[in-house]
Amino acid sequence: MAKNHTRYIFSMGELKRKDNSIAFRNEKGNFYIPIQDTRELYCMNEVSFNTKFLDFISRAGITLHLFNYHGNYSGSFYPKEQLVSGDLTIKQSMCFIEQRLVIAKAIVEAIAANIYETLYHYFRHGKKELKQTLDWLKNDVKKFLCKDLTIEQILFIEGQIWSRFYDSFKYFLPKDFVMNKRVKRPPDNPINALVSFGNTLLYTKTISSIYETHLNQTISFLHSPREGRFSLSLDISEAFKPIVVFKTIFDLVGKKRLQVTKHFDKSLNYALLNEEGKKIFIDAFETRINETFMHKKLKRKTSFKNCIKLDGYKLIKYIVEGKDFKPFLLKEKV
Amino acid sequence: MKINGTLISYFFICKTKLWLHANRINLEDNSEDVRIGKILHEINEEKSKKSEISIDNIKIDKLTRDYLVEIKKSDSDPEAVKWQVLLYLYKLKQKGVERKGKIEFIEKNRQDKKVHYIELDEVNEKELLDILKRIETIINQDTPPQAKFENKCKKCAYYEYCFI
Repeated sequence: MAKNHTRYIFSMGELKRKDNSIAFRNEKGNFYIPIQDTRELYCMNEVSFNTKFLDFISRAGITLHLFNYHGNYSGSFYPKEQLVSGDLTIKQSMCFIEQRLVIAKAIVEAIAANIYETLYHYFRHGKKELKQTLDWLKNDVKKFLCKDLTIEQILFIEGQIWSRFYDSFKYFLPKDFVMNKRVKRPPDNPINALVSFGNTLLYTKTISSIYETHLNQTISFLHSPREGRFSLSLDISEAFKPIVVFKTIFDLVGKKRLQVTKHFDKSLNYALLNEEGKKIFIDAFETRINETFMHKKLKRKTSFKNCIKLDGYKLIKYIVEGKDFKPFLLKEKV
Repeated sequence: MKINGTLISYFFICKTKLWLHANRINLEDNSEDVRIGKILHEINEEKSKKSEISIDNIKIDKLTRDYLVEIKKSDSDPEAVKWQVLLYLYKLKQKGVERKGKIEFIEKNRQDKKVHYIELDEVNEKELLDILKRIETIINQDTPPQAKFENKCKKCAYYEYCFI
């Protein structure tokens, strides 16, 4: 089941339809990509293609994610919607109007719980300095979220959770990866570069997963639907950031598989991964997101990636049936 | 809502699936069995030179002088297929076309015969109309019927949705 359906293209070249298969052509020759078990294509470099190619992958149900040279996400091409449900869109919108805060709180609670799990690992291995943050995550955050809050207050708590999490890196990461301040667009140091790159990958994975459900990508709950992006993907990916993105980062950095001098672009002040760095990161990221475990409720093996889709189902169930929405929790594996 | 072959067979297979599908929450099924089913359909279509016909919202595999033929991969749910064919016969009858039903199973697991015959008579026509009414009632409910776990659920594309 844990088949990897994702292909990454790192070099420059041309994507073409060649009979009933995808051909990638560059100066080194032709490479064929089987269409059968491909669901996602990531272009990490300059790639050209024509509408014939797009029509072909569209019919095969493949999503195409495009990144520019700097590793910034440019956008996705995805097949014309097969799963559209006007009914559900209406209900989803009504849910935004009436229940936005309930869902936003559930997401923030899940972020705190999954960060707790991630940090607890280091606490158990002797990093006793984390005690305060852990207690805060476990007790205080829950207490805050029980109160009557506005969306701004919920977002403020979310911000606090992340900033305390970043603050705690100094206790267990090597010095050159410690985060002083989270900086986006563009990131200004190695750790920010990793976080940005990882979050983007997760965001695109979530877009693909939501595409497999009937949810409307633009109606979100924690993030404002006004953000003009597929903001529901931002929402759904939150709970998975600590366990997919950050665990990958900690693992690579801790085991010295990623090093500042080797895997970052020197000319840009080490604020971007170089190609080799990207490859190492993507490889570890894919392994992590496809890692399987026993899902406690479904009683079958599943991967983190599939759990993203399952969180989509949970949201549909909340919208359609009013069943409690609780994003994926690492501890409970549901 | 017009009831088609899929909905009537889901009525017998699972009421939750019926509601979800009718309310446009139709989940993707990437299973191998479904793929084989589609290919068999295509092969047979070619054999019989595109004899598939659409009437209203139903699709009939094959119509001969005497029979309406429905081709299925396996005989795993004969009751569902039976009523699907009866619905088709009923719709044809309304258009003034009278046929008998013939069901061909390509693989057989449970039954001893590969080909089954069925006729629309007064008794099952009445029952069919009653079933159609019951389907309407179910799909017009606000929420889907609660799924109860059965062995067949494990293989269903809706499993993860139902039991998450």
